[in-house]
Amino acid sequence: MENKINNSNLSSPLGARGSMTHKERFLATIANQPVDRPASWLGLPVPAAVPGLLEYFKVNSIDELKIKLDDDIYPIEVPYNFPPSNHIACAFKFAKVSHDDKPDERTLTAPGFFEDIDDPTLVDTFPWPDPALYLDVEASRRLAMAANPDYVRMGVMWSAHFQDACAAFGMEKALMVMLMNPDMFTAVIDRITEFYLKANELFYEATKGYLDAVLIGNDFGSQNGLMVDPDSLRTYVFPGTKKLIDQAKRYGLKVIHHSCGSIYPIIQDLIELGVDSIHPIQALAADMDAQTLKKGFAGKTSFCGGVDAQHLLVNGKPNEITAKVHELKQLFPTGLIISPSHEAILPDIPPANVEAMFNAINS
Amino acid sequence: MNQELLEKLSECVEFGKINLASPYPPQMKGMPGADEITKEALEAGVTPGEILNEALISAMNKVGQKFSENKIFVPQMLLSAKAMSASMIHLKPFFANGSVKRKGIFIIGTVFGDLHDIGKNLFSMMVEGAGWEVIDLGIDVKIEKFVEAVQQNPNAVVGISALLTTTMVHMKPVIEAIKSAVPETKVIVGGAPLSAEFAASIGADGYGKNPQEGILWLDKISA
Ligand code: B12
Repeated sequence: MENKINNSNLSSPLGARGSMTHKERFLATIANQPVDRPASWLGLPVPAAVPGLLEYFKVNSIDELKIKLDDDIYPIEVPYNFPPSNHIACAFKFAKVSHDDKPDERTLTAPGFFEDIDDPTLVDTFPWPDPALYLDVEASRRLAMAANPDYVRMGVMWSAHFQDACAAFGMEKALMVMLMNPDMFTAVIDRITEFYLKANELFYEATKGYLDAVLIGNDFGSQNGLMVDPDSLRTYVFPGTKKLIDQAKRYGLKVIHHSCGSIYPIIQDLIELGVDSIHPIQALAADMDAQTLKKGFAGKTSFCGGVDAQHLLVNGKPNEITAKVHELKQLFPTGLIISPSHEAILPDIPPANVEAMFNAINS
Repeated sequence: MNQELLEKLSECVEFGKINLASPYPPQMKGMPGADEITKEALEAGVTPGEILNEALISAMNKVGQKFSENKIFVPQMLLSAKAMSASMIHLKPFFANGSVKRKGIFIIGTVFGDLHDIGKNLFSMMVEGAGWEVIDLGIDVKIEKFVEAVQQNPNAVVGISALLTTTMVHMKPVIEAIKSAVPETKVIVGGAPLSAEFAASIGADGYGKNPQEGILWLDKISA
């Protein structure tokens, strides 16, 4: 990889190199310090989107594409040997119905193991998995060591304790249990949190010295507002979030917290929980446009995301994307890692729009 | 007395008090819920129609209003819907024998390719609470399944939900197939990435940003 190249010709598109390293740029951005150009992250293109991107950019892999786009964050997925998904986000088999066991196919609403259990002392009737049996410590170390140390090496932990607690009962049941039988809800979400704390410990130990940041999070927002009231989140969900954040901080890792949707009323909470950057800034969701966030939180935290993937990146023309990125740069001269408003780049985003986005970021 | 029962029932539904045993909401703990009050009301001679129209529909209307203003959220709304169902159970025999009429049949599903159903389920509950009979076809609903459902219920109104830009484009062929099978069918669409303009462009008759808007539209076309 050729990330250390310093190139004073900042105006040349794609591949222009700034005067800061990836890490310097990232750290300055989350500290709201001046940057040579905005920090950026491509995101995680879904498998169906990959062939189109590779063909358009004439590269052989997403790694090569990242070098070409010169983004700053290198995601490292947690190697988890639990077939068929082999994905830590599918570590719990709560669903009573069979469904495709892939992160994209799990549905939080299917009736779950705890659907009819209302006695918190029965929480251990579920066969809670031991992450040590499945999390591949060797592969974790190998992957982290193989990543170019110039990048911000980010563990994709998710650790979605709230979403898993929803799946544990079936989401609708879970949200009712949260209010009607909080001890039951707490018993389950605490077990899930313990699982992630243990899994993350294994991963952080294995990757010590080779990891810079982590991505954790849960979806709390819909298009128009929070799904759950802030008070309930504070009582039942954020205590676990706090533990997960504190743990990452003990390892010196920066914490990027993900939540889709409209989450304005809990941004201050996330800041107080110690989050370094808030992702993905779903620009079209209520109160989540860059202007509103700047007004409320500029200088108080940093954001990651912001380029709308619900309309602009899908239907917009490259010049409209360029204009949006310039607007974001104006609003956030620092404090924003520019990235699509959902990390999962779907196949309906034309690669030319991705190109326009990074041209504008790097120019 | 009867008026008082209707008001109490309405309050139970608005605040999600399902039955006596339910500890929620805390301020109504130990009090009878929608279940018991509906039984009591029927025994006291309140008509099922009064229960539906004067308690359930009006309470769910308030719930929808508060939800659209972000004053309550999904959990509270679910509990209201649950309280409504606890009452509605007692009305089922009257729906079956025709002594109470609902506003019509509403068929709903999430478009094929899309697995999101939290919003669709909430909207279904609200539509039921607004006095409709709901047939929920589930998620990832193929065109043929929608068509079959409208053929079996030719006077039904159809709702389609999509949460992804990659699946909202599937709505147009669904609407075309529905309308070619039963031309008079009215279709309303909703979901995060949609807009009224998009809805119009694919031949939908209505669009609801939230359940409240959807129900206003349903009331308008069924009036
Ligand atoms: C929860 C969620 C999930 C859950 C879904 C669980 C379930 N069983 O539904 C899970 C985690 C499984 C999931 C998966 C995915 N998701 Co998702 N998800 C969301 C999230 C955070 C909230 C959706 C939600 O439930 N909201 C709560 C309900 C109450 O609101 P609602 O659905 O909008 O419905 C309301 C209104 O729209 C309306 N309504 C809804 N339907 C209808 C129908 C009618 C007729 C009417 C009148 C009204 C109406 O009434 C409802 C109540 O107000 C959204 C974020 C967002 N902005 O919406 C992303 C979001 C929709 N997801 C997104 C993505 C990308 C995905 C995945 C592709 C990610 C991946 N690679 O794994 C997969 C796709 C799976 C699939 N094939 O469908 C993106 C879509 C972007 C795009 N380009 O369109 C979003 C927008 C997030 C983002 N940051 O951009 N997701």
